Amino acid sequence: MPLLTANTRRDLEVHRYPAPVYLLVPVAALVLQALLPRFMGRYAWFDLPLVVTVYFALGRRSPIQGTFMGAILGLFEDALTHHAIGINGIAKTIAGYLAASVGIRIDVQNNAIRLLLNFALSLLCSGIYVFIYRVLLGMELDYNWLNELFRALGNSAVALILFPLLDRCQVRD
Amino acid sequence: MESLFVRYRNLLVLLVLLVAQIVGLATQVRRTDSGRMGFDPGDGSGVRLLRLWANAVVSPPERAVEGSKTGMAGFWQNYFDLRNVRKQNKDLQDTIDRLRLEQAALLEDARQGQRLQGLMNFQQKYIYSTVAAQVIGSSGSDQSRVFYLDKGKDAGLAVDMAVITADGIVGKIRDVFPHSSQVLAINDQSSGAGVILETNRIRGILRGNAEGEAQIVGILADQRIQPGEKVLTAGGDQIFPRGLPVGVVEKVVRDPDRDAFIDIIIKPAAHIDRLDEVLVITATQPRFSNQQQQDISTSENLKGAEAAEALEKKKAAEIMAERLPGLIDPNLPADQQPLHETSNPSPVIRPPLPLHPDRFTPGAAAGSPDSGVAPSESTPETPAPTKPRSTESGSGKAPSSASATGKPHGTGTGDTTSSSTSKAKPATPRPQTTKPQTSTPQRNQ
Repeated sequence: MPLLTANTRRDLEVHRYPAPVYLLVPVAALVLQALLPRFMGRYAWFDLPLVVTVYFALGRRSPIQGTFMGAILGLFEDALTHHAIGINGIAKTIAGYLAASVGIRIDVQNNAIRLLLNFALSLLCSGIYVFIYRVLLGMELDYNWLNELFRALGNSAVALILFPLLDRCQVRD
Repeated sequence: MESLFVRYRNLLVLLVLLVAQIVGLATQVRRTDSGRMGFDPGDGSGVRLLRLWANAVVSPPERAVEGSKTGMAGFWQNYFDLRNVRKQNKDLQDTIDRLRLEQAALLEDARQGQRLQGLMNFQQKYIYSTVAAQVIGSSGSDQSRVFYLDKGKDAGLAVDMAVITADGIVGKIRDVFPHSSQVLAINDQSSGAGVILETNRIRGILRGNAEGEAQIVGILADQRIQPGEKVLTAGGDQIFPRGLPVGVVEKVVRDPDRDAFIDIIIKPAAHIDRLDEVLVITATQPRFSNQQQQDISTSENLKGAEAAEALEKKKAAEIMAERLPGLIDPNLPADQQPLHETSNPSPVIRPPLPLHPDRFTPGAAAGSPDSGVAPSESTPETPAPTKPRSTESGSGKAPSSASATGKPHGTGTGDTTSSSTSKAKPATPRPQTTKPQTSTPQRNQ
């Protein structure tokens, strides 16, 4: 367990990125999320905006920034659907906050942690989505938990590839 | 107090954002007439603005990607796929010709249907005009089966217009932006289209399920429905014109919520998951469009030309039949015409042969009473036609068998078709045989 905790200075440092990265990466995530399901059909088991939210929340280690990042990406994702705006927004707001809060305490460079964190937060987002839809809004929604599980696995796999690529964009001191 | 804010500012920001979004959600949901909760179909100004922003952010890159893909595909087709164009063109032309003839043949049925519909005060809506559009993106969510088109208000698109492909229906336009539009697919959970099964005429409502399959819901469980049956639009939803293909029945499952009902899973005719180009029906009218009328008149002309061509062929055949030397010889008497049983218009009627010829019987004097009568050899008025005999022998059928079946001689073959039988004259007695004269009346009786 001590291996997983952030106990060195390097582990606790806040990652910084060039300003365009903060803009282009979320936009690219939104565009790809809208574009790729056309080619992959029902096998598009990933949520790129969530992966990007988790990445920036972990890297910046700021719950406020993670919360805002999650809220903005979630709201934009909602705006592309025909559902009410705010369902994904709430789910990703909570996910961003939790990822940043966890990132303060653990070593976020560890691939296993990244994988587990993405898996857990994906399932949490799905749960929040269904909770809001069926309990808060009182509306009917058919869902398949197997699909949500596959999506969580897909997000973990995407994170394993995407996180090291985005790490290269960091500004080194 | 200040330290409290500073200490819990992360949590406070989270709470503020969550409360703001929950309040925003509450404004978008309302109770429907049936008592259920549902989204407000008309977006508020704030929601509309956010959708517009999201569309403005996502659409240009999607359009660029789609444009580059189309450009690459066009390059490939233009340079590498031209080899088969000539053959394809010919095949397509043949198909068009065939379809035109089929269309002309179906036109009368359509007109009759229109007349009957007019009598019943029911007006069929025909697709009057369409706009072709390119699919550029999707919502990216399993729970929202919507996709985006590259045409919007500027191309004349509006909410609730039907979206189809050549294979079948796809969905309806849910939202329109200046240069793009959002389409709700038929396999979304919130979609609804009136459909009818082609053969047993069971009506139902088509909607999507959690797996993204299209299904007809609310069908009584006692209905017998076979997989593979075609499903068409019913036309009652005022969005899709009647009779458009929807898909085929894939399987029937029990409704999980209601025991007395079943759900029919449909395999959509259109490839909804992999759409590229679609047609948006921008107008429907109770009459054919100008283009359709032009096509119909072309088809009718083609059909008329084909009928005239067939008539000309028939006339030519008749002229050739008259001119053929072997069939009718004007120099020969009628009873000596070859094939006179079928083609001779005025056969010679011979008197029936007496059962017991005596000396007063014409031609009997030449023969000896003891040796019997051989009319064919002795009677000069009844020369034995040689041609028919040779024809009969050439056909390999015995004359007696032909006469036993009551069929006239000289028709050529024993397995004469009904048309040739009807053409043959029934009373062509032969002096050589007596059986036909006795057997034919018996048969007639």
